[in-house]
Order: sequence, then C-alpha cells, then structure tokens
Amino acid sequence: MTFISELTGRPVTDVDGKRIGTLKDVVARPVRMFAHPVVNAIILQSSAGERAIPYSELAALLSAAIPLKTTLQKAAPYEFQETDIRLVQDVLDKQILDTDGARVVRVNDIELVRVNGHVVITNVDVGFLGILRRIGFERLGRWVAKRLGKDMTSGAISWDFVELLMHDQAMRLRVPSSKLANLHPSDLAEIITDLNRAEHAGLLQSLDLKQLADTLEEVEPDFQASLLQHFPDEKVADVLEEMAPDEATDLLAEMPKDRRQGLLQLMESDEADEVRELLQYDEESAGGLMTTKYIAVTAEMTAAQTIEHLRKAGEEAELIYYVYVVDAGERLIGVFSLSDLIVAQPQTPITEFMHKRVVSVTLETRQDDIAQTVSKYNLIAVPVVDAEHRLHGIVTADDALDKIIPTAWKKRLPHFFGASQ
Amino acid sequence: MTQGAGVPRSRPFARWARRAAILLSVFGPATITAMADNDAGGVATYSIAGATLGYPILFVLFIITPLLGITQEMGMRLTLVTRRGLADLIREKNGVPISLLIFAGLFVANLGTLTTEFAAIGTVGRMLRIPVAPFVIGTLLVAFLFITQGSYRLTQSIMLLVSLFYVTYVISAVRSRPDWGLALSNLVYPHGVRFTGEYLRSYLIIGMGVLGTTITPWGQFFISSFAFDKKMNQDTLKYSQLETYWGAFLTDFFSFFIIVATASTLFARGIILTSGEQAAEAIRPFAGELAGTLFAVGILAAAFMGLVVVPLSTAYAFSEFFGLSGSLDSDYQSSKTFYALFILQLIMAALLAAIPGISLFHFAIATQTLNAMILPLVFYYLIRLASDPRLMGAQVNTRFQTRFTAWASIFIVAASVLTVGALIFRW
Repeated sequence: MTFISELTGRPVTDVDGKRIGTLKDVVARPVRMFAHPVVNAIILQSSAGERAIPYSELAALLSAAIPLKTTLQKAAPYEFQETDIRLVQDVLDKQILDTDGARVVRVNDIELVRVNGHVVITNVDVGFLGILRRIGFERLGRWVAKRLGKDMTSGAISWDFVELLMHDQAMRLRVPSSKLANLHPSDLAEIITDLNRAEHAGLLQSLDLKQLADTLEEVEPDFQASLLQHFPDEKVADVLEEMAPDEATDLLAEMPKDRRQGLLQLMESDEADEVRELLQYDEESAGGLMTTKYIAVTAEMTAAQTIEHLRKAGEEAELIYYVYVVDAGERLIGVFSLSDLIVAQPQTPITEFMHKRVVSVTLETRQDDIAQTVSKYNLIAVPVVDAEHRLHGIVTADDALDKIIPTAWKKRLPHFFGASQ
Repeated sequence: MTQGAGVPRSRPFARWARRAAILLSVFGPATITAMADNDAGGVATYSIAGATLGYPILFVLFIITPLLGITQEMGMRLTLVTRRGLADLIREKNGVPISLLIFAGLFVANLGTLTTEFAAIGTVGRMLRIPVAPFVIGTLLVAFLFITQGSYRLTQSIMLLVSLFYVTYVISAVRSRPDWGLALSNLVYPHGVRFTGEYLRSYLIIGMGVLGTTITPWGQFFISSFAFDKKMNQDTLKYSQLETYWGAFLTDFFSFFIIVATASTLFARGIILTSGEQAAEAIRPFAGELAGTLFAVGILAAAFMGLVVVPLSTAYAFSEFFGLSGSLDSDYQSSKTFYALFILQLIMAALLAAIPGISLFHFAIATQTLNAMILPLVFYYLIRLASDPRLMGAQVNTRFQTRFTAWASIFIVAASVLTVGALIFRW
C-alpha cells in the first residue's frame, strides 16, 4: 500500500524519461457497486501550470517516479466529472464528523492500493502515524512505538465508513465513532473480492440474455446469486427462463425466499411450473436431498481400470464406498462396494462381481421412505433413479436420516461420510 | 421601497429595538478578545509605558486601535463566512507541517504568557495581603469548573463581567488628578516633554512593546474560535464587524486610563518602574490608598481574563488543527482533550511561576520573541485566507483591506523584532 502523502511531489516523466513536472493531486472516481473510488487521473504540476492526465496514460503510478506511456503533447485530455474527487484538495486534512455532527478527527493521510491494474482508495488514515508521516517522521514513530510495545497501526478507517457529500464540506462517518473500533479497515483481499464482484457484475450487465444465462450456468450457485443481487427482478426472471430448469432451480434456491417468490411470478408460467416442481423436490424428496457427486462406471470396465478411475475421480466424489454401474443410456444396472472391488483380481470384468439387483429410490421418494430403505438394507447411500431407471444421484444415509434421528443421537453415531474428502 | 424584514417604516423604535437585540445576541467574542489583550502583561506594559514616557506614549493608542480593529475584523469575518476557525482553515488549506509548527509556537508562547499572568497574581496578591498559593489554586479550580461544567454562555457572561473591573483603572486615573487636556491632546500628537535621544529610544522600544502585547497570535486564533463556538453565521456579519471595532476601541479606552494613571503620578515625579505590577503600589502615595487598591484589583481581573482566554485559545486551536471535538458547550467526556489541554497549561504555568529565582523578565522577553516569530505566519495565512474569493465569496477582503493589513503586519512584525532586539542586545 501507498499513501497519498508519499505520492505527492514525486517526479512525473514522459515516455523518454524526461522530467515533465511533479504529481500534485490524484483524481479518483466512485464506481458503481464498489465501495472504494478508483484512481482515474493525476494532476501534474509543471512550469506551464496544472494539467490533468488520465490514469490510462500512465505506465505506473505507485512508483518512485511516475512515467507516462507517451509524451506530454500526445497524452489524452482528461474530462472531469461531477463525482470526481481530488484527493489532496477535497479529502486530505478534511474534518471528519461523527454521525451526530460532532468533530472526531481529521484525515491525516489516504491509503491507496493497486488491484487488478487499478489503483483503489482503501482507507483514510486518521492515526497519529499519519501525522508523523506527513512531517517525515514515520520511521522514527514506528521505532518508538516498537520500543514502547504499542500498536500504532490503528487509525485507518475504511472508505466504506466515511462519506463525502460536498467537496468543500466536512466528511461524515456512516457509523458512530463509538462503534468504529470494532470495524476493521479494508484489506487487500477484501478489496480484490469486492472489485472482482463489481467487475463481473459490470461485465454481466453488458451481456444479452442468452449469453448471460450461459455464463451464469458456469458459475457456482451462491456466487450466481450475489452477481444478480443488483439486477432488476424483470431481467433476472428473463435470465431464469433462458437457463436449464435445474440450473435455474439451483440459482433460485440460493435467493432470499421473498425474492424467489417474486421472481417465480414474473417468469413465464410453463418455465415457472417446471422450476416450482423442482423446487418442490428440494424441500422433501430424493430429488432435493441427492448429490450428484457419486462414482459411476460402465459395464465393460475391469477391476483394475475401475481402481484407476477411482484414484482420479475419487477426490471429487462425496462417497466412493459404492461404485454404480450404468449402461450407455445412463440406466442403473448394478452396484458393488469398495471391498468387492479390492478383493477382485485386477483383470476381472466388473460385471462378474457386481450386484445386479440394486435397491434404489425415485426422484419423488419422500425422505421418511428413503430413511426406511437405508436402515432396512443397512446402506451407506441409496441411488436415485427416474421412471426410466436412469441414475440421477445418490442420497447418503447421513442426509436421509437427518430428519428421522434426533440430533442428539446422530451426534453419537460415527460420522462416516465426509471423511472421504 | 425596501425595508427591514417585516418592520413597518412608521415604527422606527421597533426597528431600533430589533437591531439592538441582534447586536446584543452577537455581542461577546470580539469584546472579550480585545479586553483579554489587556491581560496582566498588557497592564504591566502600559504601566511601564506611562511611568517611563508620560503622556506622549498615548499617541501609540491612536495607531494600535485601528490596527487591532482591522485584524480582528478579518478573523471574525473569515469565521462567520466560512463557518470554520482560523486553525481549521490553515490545516485544511496548508497541511500538517505548518499546522504543527504554528501550534507548537502558539503552545509555548501561550505558556509564557500564562506564566506572567500567574506572576502578576503573585505580586498583586502579596500587595493586597491575599495568601497567594490558596488564591492561585482557588482561581484555577474556579476557572476549570466553569469552563468544563458551564456552557459557552456562562463563560461569555463571566468574562464580560470580569471586564467590568477594568473600570477600576478609570477611577485610579481620576484619583491621580491628571492634566486631562495634555493627556487628550497627546492622543493626536506627542508633545509636552523634551524629546532627547535617550527618550526617543525608550519611546520606540516601549511603543513597540505596547503593540506586541495588544496584537498577539493567540488573539487572532481566539476571536475566530470563540466566534465559531458561538455558532454565528454571516447573517449577522455587520453587527459582529461593528463589535470588533467597538472592542478595539474599548480596550484602548482602558489602556488610556492605565497610562494616564501612571503618567500623572510616576512619570511626573521621575519614578521608574522595574516591573508593571509595582505600579499599583507605586501610585498609592500620590493617588491615594483607594486608587492603588483599585489598580491592583484591575490587575487581578486582567490576569484572570488572561488565565481563561489564553489557554482556551491553545485548546481551541489544537482541536481545530487536529479535528477533535472542542466546544465549551460539549460535556467533559466528549471534549476530553480540549479540556485537558486547558487545565494542563494552567498547571504547567502555575508551576513555572512558582519556581524560585526564575527571571520573569527573561520569561516575558522570550515569550515576546516567540510571539513576534509566529505573528507574521499567522497574519500571512489570515490575509491569504480572507483574500481568497473561493472561500469568502462576496465577503472577500477588499483591495484596501488586503493592502492595509499586509502593510500593518509588516509594520507590526518589524516593531516586534526591533523591540526584542532592543531588549536583548540593549541597542
């Protein structure tokens, strides 16, 4: 991280390394859906006066000398916007007022961080160290603090927690100063996550519905939901229609309940019904309880090939104790256990030791019934098939017994599953 | 035809009553600042001036009054228009290093000023046969209590009340049976003595000393902070401007009587004062018991003004420079630093004054030197800020104001430097 007090006064050079002036100020612009303004330009102080140079024309900003990518004559002009903030002129040394209007402290310095090719305003420094830095005694201050065993790093307030309403007026805290101590300043990791999210969201907004739906299907559902957080409901409903029903269902399941209902009403009735049906499963049926992270092999494989496959695929699977055998149409034709596999000769075809009569449940089977099946046959997991006997997933005993066995009992049982991960 | 808001033209009395009410509501900051300029150090300087130089030094008041009025008006106007204190603006426009420098200078110089206030209380206390240590501690407690527990209004009322004690100088002056004609005519041009080389040298040094105790860095900060703390705005600017000139007049009105009291008694008989506080004792044989006692009471009142106003100016400036809460209207808890700094200075100064064998004369000189060094900086920023149209809008300094104050500051600075030089190097 770098501080504005360290940046100002640094030499600015053109692409040939010729000194053209010094940095006087830094211009940042607030970005939608991102709490931290992003540096958009610098103010160059030269013998010819002040001039704004866009950030895009700089080869580097957070460096000992600030080189341009071009010559001063060829540098693009910068167009100021109403929302632009000049850090030195508008923010540095500014009074910060509490939520009730009382004076709290002044902005002693401003912290900048480089993320994904942008320079972002992270925190305002209101600490004593900031004052020492301004007069060039920061190192001395740190040394003394270390000797005294005191923590001098406190004093940074994340930009989220202050707001600058008018450029020529004091800044205000968004949270009472009494609560400030509990709020940590922004760090790099947080900024990266926020920025990525904001950038993704910005990118997504430029896509058409089809592209958007395809893109979303590639993303984890919980992340999908956060990406769509700022989209209007109408648009989200259109995107859901474009998506495969099961994907749409997963996405909807991640949304808050009230928004989910609203979205379903906005969707075309056919698609909505389909999704509703799937969501129905979610609540109480095998379709909702099952996981698709199981191991399935085809009938022509040998024991050795299967073990080899397990080595690769086992990592991802939720359960490798059962290996399911499917035909070309994904229909479930057999099952064998890990012990069956290990005791078999390597070259033995799996069809020779697999059990052909497989106990299974259908997508619609209710949880109580799954639990009964699991306990009756003493299974660790039960496969879920549809009307055509196609394998869709498995329900582990853990999940199946979830509702039936009181929690206190369950805790006493050995926890088989999850240990494989 | 335009008229005052809602006031019928046919009722001039109502209009005047309304104006008087506004004037009373804004009244305070400028008068208190100006009266505090006549603190114990100020009274001492005027007493020495009168005793050493006689009536002709009165002419200096003719110069000081408009100077004080104009510089104070600028600070008042700056605060009312920008809704910020002078220290606020210096920090916001010029950053940390200069703020720290000015604050450090102000803190040390004010500590020096405070020490002289305590010394004066000590001297006068002994004269009035008051036990000094309990008196000083009592004064400290009273000041601390009403500053921390009271409100802005209470502080303002107490200070205005204390400044009424300055009337004692008028009585002392009358009792010393001066030549009023000579005194008044000396306001316009100095005359009535033999202007020897030695006399002119003293006149220069003391004249500048008088200027230096009246126009001070803390005075510039205080009027701005005190007006800010009163939460005034530019709607009443005209009335506040009127008050600054009135304050300047009033303080020098009393200065006139201090000088007259010593000039008509001590100078006339060739008695030289070595310290200002002696004046109360020295005029007694010539002006009578009452005049001497009243003069001493006046010095106590002056010292008390200084004891409150000077450390307040430091505490206000600190809060503004570093953006902390600092208002007489806030409770102790929320403005802890502000109040702590106030009492800390008082305790430090009281201890300094109590050190046996410390040369108060050298203390006064050092303080004066430091003030002379800070004053040009303060004036530079004050003029620059008040001349900035982006900040001041329609109330920006006129060209005359900028030029006049710029020249006046150069004059004041030169005066201060000369005084200090003359005193240290015995030019």
